[in-house]
Amino acid sequence: MEELLMKKLKILADGAKYDVSCSSSGASRYNNGRLGNAHAAGICHSWAADGRCVSLLKVLFTNKCEYDCEYCINRRSNDFPRATFEPDELARLTMEFYRRNYIEGLFLSSAVEKSPDYTAERILECLELLRFRYGFAGYIHAKIIPGVSPAILHRIGLVADRLSVNIEMPSSKSLAQLAPQKRPKQIFAPMRQITNTLIEHNSLVGPGTMFKGQKLNTADHYLEDSPDGFSNTGPSLPEFWDQASQILPAPKKGSFAAAGQTTQMIIGAGGESDKSILTTSENLYHAFKMKRVYYSAYIPLVESPKLPDIHTPAPLKREHRIYQADWLLRFYGFTVGELFQDGSSDLDPDLDPKVTWAIRNLDYFPLEVNKASYDQLMRVPGIGHLSAKRIIRQRRYSAVRFDDLKKIGVVMKRAKYFILCCGRYYGDRKFEPEVIRGSILQMENGLQMSMFDQMGDRHLTAGTGTGKALQEGKA
Amino acid sequence: MIDYIYDGTFDGLLTCVYNHYYIDRAGGIYTGDSYQPNMLWGSMTVETDEAKAAKVYDAIEEKISAYDLRGVYKAYLSSVPGKEMIILRYLVMGFRKGPAISSLHGDPVVKDFQAILKKISVEAERMLQFVRFSVMDGNILYADIEPDHDVLELLHTHFCDRFRNDPFIIHDVGRGKAMIAYQKHWYITDFDEDSVPRLSQEELSYRDLWKTFFDNIAIKERANYRCQRNFMPERYRRHLTEITHPAQDRVL
Repeated sequence: MEELLMKKLKILADGAKYDVSCSSSGASRYNNGRLGNAHAAGICHSWAADGRCVSLLKVLFTNKCEYDCEYCINRRSNDFPRATFEPDELARLTMEFYRRNYIEGLFLSSAVEKSPDYTAERILECLELLRFRYGFAGYIHAKIIPGVSPAILHRIGLVADRLSVNIEMPSSKSLAQLAPQKRPKQIFAPMRQITNTLIEHNSLVGPGTMFKGQKLNTADHYLEDSPDGFSNTGPSLPEFWDQASQILPAPKKGSFAAAGQTTQMIIGAGGESDKSILTTSENLYHAFKMKRVYYSAYIPLVESPKLPDIHTPAPLKREHRIYQADWLLRFYGFTVGELFQDGSSDLDPDLDPKVTWAIRNLDYFPLEVNKASYDQLMRVPGIGHLSAKRIIRQRRYSAVRFDDLKKIGVVMKRAKYFILCCGRYYGDRKFEPEVIRGSILQMENGLQMSMFDQMGDRHLTAGTGTGKALQEGKA
Repeated sequence: MIDYIYDGTFDGLLTCVYNHYYIDRAGGIYTGDSYQPNMLWGSMTVETDEAKAAKVYDAIEEKISAYDLRGVYKAYLSSVPGKEMIILRYLVMGFRKGPAISSLHGDPVVKDFQAILKKISVEAERMLQFVRFSVMDGNILYADIEPDHDVLELLHTHFCDRFRNDPFIIHDVGRGKAMIAYQKHWYITDFDEDSVPRLSQEELSYRDLWKTFFDNIAIKERANYRCQRNFMPERYRRHLTEITHPAQDRVL
């Protein structure tokens, strides 16, 4: 039995690894079942050889697929070993891993076996077993397959902490080209249903600090064209509820996907520019109030005339810059329009987007750190939310001096060009775009030389799997 | 000026703080084994006095804040050399500044203290990540850890809730003690290797499965060992199942 399970695990983990998200954050819960709880910030338990964190048991339920998406390793026409979990087998494996503190929970995705509903029902069976028979109170992230019926989606949402529907491509054109069986409508319908249900449960939060202070759970944010009221069906109990010997308390009413919804798109498979990718994300944040959009640099795995050559290196650096820009959208109050205001359609590969924006808007700077507001400070390169808060807190008691800034955690090599401290400027003599750009580039290049001496461009993508790592890397 | 030598307990440290105010200013505070006599001033062995310690304890909570009281205790749990004087300097300043002290991030006294707090919080968080339980006979969960700082008792809230229905032991191998917990009750006791229960029958197969998963979840094209090392420092690796357990090549 072990041999067979190991074989399945190997195949189905292998198929799931291209899903980027592995975060276990956003849900906070004490142990309300038999085993487990959820930690609001999420916990990474390990890091794989690619530097991405392992937080959840990330597997496909099955990799037998009806679809034939060009970019996908599990596409029907690919000759590849196939496997399917039994619901109970996967539930028990999750419990055993969780007990050993290997994981924070389960990330369950799947290929489409037979039909979206058939697959979703099997996933639902597995998740309900896990929650109700085994009393699992840890984290569950369930992938929603486009085309699934609203009633099943609702039940999955009641047992999962986070739901995600992959948008796959940044534009409908490349979606039609590369994943012809997936229709934009099928992707957006479940997204809309999730957002609407979250509003009904009064638990829509939105991405980062983008909607800070706004009331999201109102009729205004309700999305039209909602699938005929299915989201109001309310919790229904799994079939084996009465038979189960140990009956556990039903999940608290109102807990539908407490950690919200996310999505993922592939970078570099279609021909989109950075601007159109980020515009799509911005629209997703505004329309569906998604918690996050994940990006995945396309790694050529299958040969196809419609795709980049199989020897094309994955655009990891590009992915990194897009993540940085995405962070600016969600936490720093930037808009896509601001990031591309000079008419360019791609991000500057050499400098991070916040520095690029600052250099283009020198009339906004230099800012006096002792007077600037929180939102203004957040726009200074080298200042993140932690250091901005600390500056504000310290200002209440004493002026912030230049020497304090470093202790507070400000990245001075970038920040010094854009700030005044007690009226004094500490950057180079000339306050001109080209001079500042030159100095920062020189310094970053010096750093990059030593960073890249072993492995080429790869280091730049450090930890894209974990929100926390990126947040720290951002500042 | 005088050097105080205390017994290494929290109450002992607080007694030293008391003496700093009521006997003589502290030149240094040491535990017995780390003390090197000093030519300039003498030393005094401090008898831990619960009443004096309680006075200091209450004073910190009232005059500074409950937040800083917790911070002082956490800093005490660290293994940073010279932590005693860093704590003392922070308290002396705190008694003057009141609760505002924790916001003065630029001050060197505050910065040194907060640097210790950061070290210990980071390690406590790492333990939530890196504790690896093995299921032993009788369904007891057992984990061995070797943290730099004495973070064991900072772990109980998390694990006691999460593993409410499983008896578990977290064994700090370096300090020879363990937290033993079941159904939200827990205590810390001396513990040595002889007391470790035997592995349950199926434990090894779950380790095999975990290793298989771990090795297969990495994307080869994105290999980045430096990033992996930054997040998973070498010193924690000898207790990580996915690193120490042999690779499972026999399937496929």
